[in-house]
Order: sequence, then structure tokens, then C-alpha cells
Amino acid sequence: MMMIFWNIRVPRVILTIFIGAGISTAGAVFQALFRNPLAAPDILGVTSGSGFGAALAIMFLTPLAFVIQINAFIFGIIAVTLAYILASLSQDSSPSVLVISGIVISAIFQAGLSFIMYMANPYDQLAQIVFWTMGSFNTASWVKVQGAVPVLIPGIILMIIFSWPLNIMTQGEEDAMSMGIHVVRWRIFYVLVSTLMVATSVSLVGNVAWIGLIVPHIARYLSGSEHRRLLPMTAILGGLFLMIMDTLARSVMLSEIPISIVTSIFGAPFLGYLVVSAGKTRRII
Amino acid sequence: MNLAIKNITTGYGKTPVISNISLTVGPGRICALMGRNGSGKTTLLRCINGVLPVFEGNIRVMGKEIQKLGRAQVARMISVVPQTHFSPFSFSCMDMVLMAGAARIKAWSAPSGKEKQKALETMAETGIDHMAKRPFNSLSGGERQLVMLARGLFQDTPVMLLDEPNSHLDFANQHKIMALMQQVTRKRNMTVVITLHDPNLAYYYCDDVILIHKGRVKAAGKTCTTLTNDVLSAVLGDNIQCDETKKGVFVVIPKHIPQKMN
Repeated sequence: MMMIFWNIRVPRVILTIFIGAGISTAGAVFQALFRNPLAAPDILGVTSGSGFGAALAIMFLTPLAFVIQINAFIFGIIAVTLAYILASLSQDSSPSVLVISGIVISAIFQAGLSFIMYMANPYDQLAQIVFWTMGSFNTASWVKVQGAVPVLIPGIILMIIFSWPLNIMTQGEEDAMSMGIHVVRWRIFYVLVSTLMVATSVSLVGNVAWIGLIVPHIARYLSGSEHRRLLPMTAILGGLFLMIMDTLARSVMLSEIPISIVTSIFGAPFLGYLVVSAGKTRRII
Repeated sequence: MNLAIKNITTGYGKTPVISNISLTVGPGRICALMGRNGSGKTTLLRCINGVLPVFEGNIRVMGKEIQKLGRAQVARMISVVPQTHFSPFSFSCMDMVLMAGAARIKAWSAPSGKEKQKALETMAETGIDHMAKRPFNSLSGGERQLVMLARGLFQDTPVMLLDEPNSHLDFANQHKIMALMQQVTRKRNMTVVITLHDPNLAYYYCDDVILIHKGRVKAAGKTCTTLTNDVLSAVLGDNIQCDETKKGVFVVIPKHIPQKMN
């Protein structure tokens, strides 16, 4: 009993807390960077890239979790790098160009993922890929905690330490420049750290939908938009939210439900609520 | 001279929009930039602020060449008040003003109590200190512009650029903003360059005026001597004339005023 508690339950709870905190913090950072309350941390294609990388490994390399994770991480980083390179080819340096580049790269990797799923053996590979794309903490272990913590803790701390310039980045490129912010340099820093956090998370547990979008909004209700208060609140709420969602994922049915299904069931209606309430209060969107 | 621009040419991409423009503005003076839509007023402001590259010529603020300075150094010299402002997230007015301290405040730090006190004093200067905790996005257009003005003043620079700060304001607020600008410019002894469409506002509140037409300076000088029928017609079109009211007050009105219906 104690062994199950220490070797399965405890690492799983720790992993959900840190991954929830990391993805949510990255979401808040991306929303500020792109001045878009609907921006999610996978806006630059990291999730699609990771999904493709994982599927590629499952299909052609090995079903070993470690290899799948490494491949997912590498392709997540490749996707964001390609989005950045594509955006840099444009003369327009506005964040919207970066978002469009992210959509393009995302679509390409998504198509690649769909093709692999189409080609996959439906009896073992396909199920593994589908389960991976919907995310799960059922393979949580101390090894995975060791893989997550060295990236997520420094990442969250860095984002919180350098959270004040994010306020200024929300004011638009030209206004931020006028106030003395080196916009391009800061954008690279925030995108790099956030992408590392998301790519690490996605490579370890698969896609965790919605959390990076909705948790920053809940935090904004509680702490306001000032990022020195917002980011710590987002990290705490993100950790708690994902821990609760994962508890539901493994306990509401006899077999475990993929985490993205649970977060989507709660996330999508909440977004609907935001859209309705935004018109009345203008507080969020 | 606080601001000295010499023969600058600038534009977008490789296409020049304004050519060979020179101007100097001393401390404690407001210079109006006037011209029709698309004449290059905003382009000139963006170039002065270092957002657009200088193709030719140079811009000096307090003797230092802007093109050779980093972003933070430019922000210590020049502040900008934009035409309109929308914040995607609802910050308090105090937070909005404090952002202008970015060039002084370390990125890993946060505004100190001293900075917050200074911000509050600046807000008092523009008469909005009572709004410090109110959400910026809940304010009216006029109140927002006062917050943006306070933000520009909090940046504490020798030069301030204002891009059509009155364009979305009602009559009373237009004069309120301009009177406030005149007052703080004298008090702080700073240099202000402001783009305007209304020659009356330029005449009453600005010391100097530069009229730009198709990217080139058409006329420049003191407002009281430069704003003449000939100059205004050449720059702003035929349908404009300078006149005087019965009380002898200078006004610029359309030449052809349609007859009233009643």
C-alpha cells in the first residue's frame, strides 16, 4: 500500500502540480505576448510538433516511453523554431505574423500526425498514438518527475522574476519600444522559456488541452492583470486545477479517462462563460 | 536645442515617405505638426522616436544622436503619447502610468514605493490621482487620454511626442488636453511636438508650427505669423480661411459654409 502511495500516487500528484503550473504560466505569458486573451501556449505549434514527434517514434522507432518523450520534445522545439524562422522571413515583425506562422506550422505537423494515424496499425500503434494525443498521467513516475522539475521550476521562477516587462509587452510593440523595452529580445526570451516548459510537459504526459487558456483567466479574476501578481496566482491555480482534473480522470469511471477529455469538459464551457460575461464586464476579453 | 532634426529622409521599407525635413524646437516650447492625412506627420514622429529608420540626416535630442542610442536610452530622452490606446487586459490607471518607468526600473524588479509616489504626483499634475485604482478600460476617451498623458510625463523625458491626442475627444476635452499640455510644457521646460488637424488648436496652444505637404516642409515658423490664408490653403486645401470674430479673436474656418436649413 505504502509502495503504491510513494511510487505511483506521490509522483503523479507532483507531476500534475508542476505540469499544471508550467503550462498555465506559459499560457499567461503567451496571452500577454500576443496581446490576445485567447492565446494558448501551443499557439506556435509546440503541441502539434510534439504529437507528430511522438507518433513518429511510436510508428517507426520503438514503443519505449523514453524514446517517444525525447522525440516529442525535439519535434515540439522544431515546430516552434520553424514558426519563428517563417515569421522572421516577413518584413512585418508584429506578433500576428508569428501567430499566423504558428498556425501554418501547426497545420503541417497536424497533417503529418493524421497521416501517421491513418497508416498506423489500428490494434496497437493507433491506440497508443490516440491515447498520447489526449494526454495521461497514468505513467507518472519519479523518473518523469526528474525530467519535469529541472525545466519547470526554473522556468516558472524565471517567468515570475521577469514578469514586470510583460505588463509593458501587452501595450503593443510600438508603445513598449517607446517605454524602453527591447521588444524582439524580450519576446524571444519569453517564447523560449515558455516553449521549453510546454514541450517538456507535452513530451512527458501528452497533450493537456485548455488548461493554458482558462487558468490564466481564472487567475486574472482573482489577482487582476498585473503580471507580478498574476503569474504566481496562475502557477498555483494551474497546479491545483490539473491535480483535481487528474483525480477526476482516474476516479470518475472504472478505467482512466485521458486528461484532455476531462480538462476540455470543464474548459470549453468555461470559455463559453467568458465570451458571454466579457460583453457585460469587459474585464477579461 | 532640446530637439534638432537635420535633413532627415525616412519611410517604410525602402520607400521614402518624408524627405529632407529639418526642424529645431527649444525647451518650454510646443511645436505643432500639421498636414493633410497621409502627409507624413505620424511617420516623422515615429522616425524621431527611433521606430522607423533614418535613411538620411540625423536627429539629436539634448545633443545626442538618437540613431546611435539603445531603446532604453531613447526612452529616457523621448516619451510618446499615442492617438488612442486600448489595453487588451484591464490594468489599473496606476499600473498603466508606472509602465513608463521601464527605462529606469530593472526588468527583474518592480516599481518601488518611491516610483509609485512619483506616479501619483504625476497623476495629480494631470488631475487624475483620484483614478489611480480604477481600471483603465472602464474610463472614457478623455480620461484615458489624461492617463496616457500622465504616463508620458512619468517617463520624465526632455522631449515628448503626441500623435493627434485630440482625435477622438469632444470639444471640451480637446481644449482641456491642450491647455494642460501648455501648462506642463512651461512648468517642466520640456520640448513638445504634437500632430494636429485643427489649426485653431495649433494657433492658441502651440508656439511653433510646421506644415508638411506630400512629405516635405511647406512652411515653418511661429504659429501667429505662419498660419496665413496662403499657407493653409496650400497645405490643407482651398476650402479654408483665416478670419476674426466680432471680438477680434483669430479663427480658422471653412471658406464655403453651407447655408443652414432653418
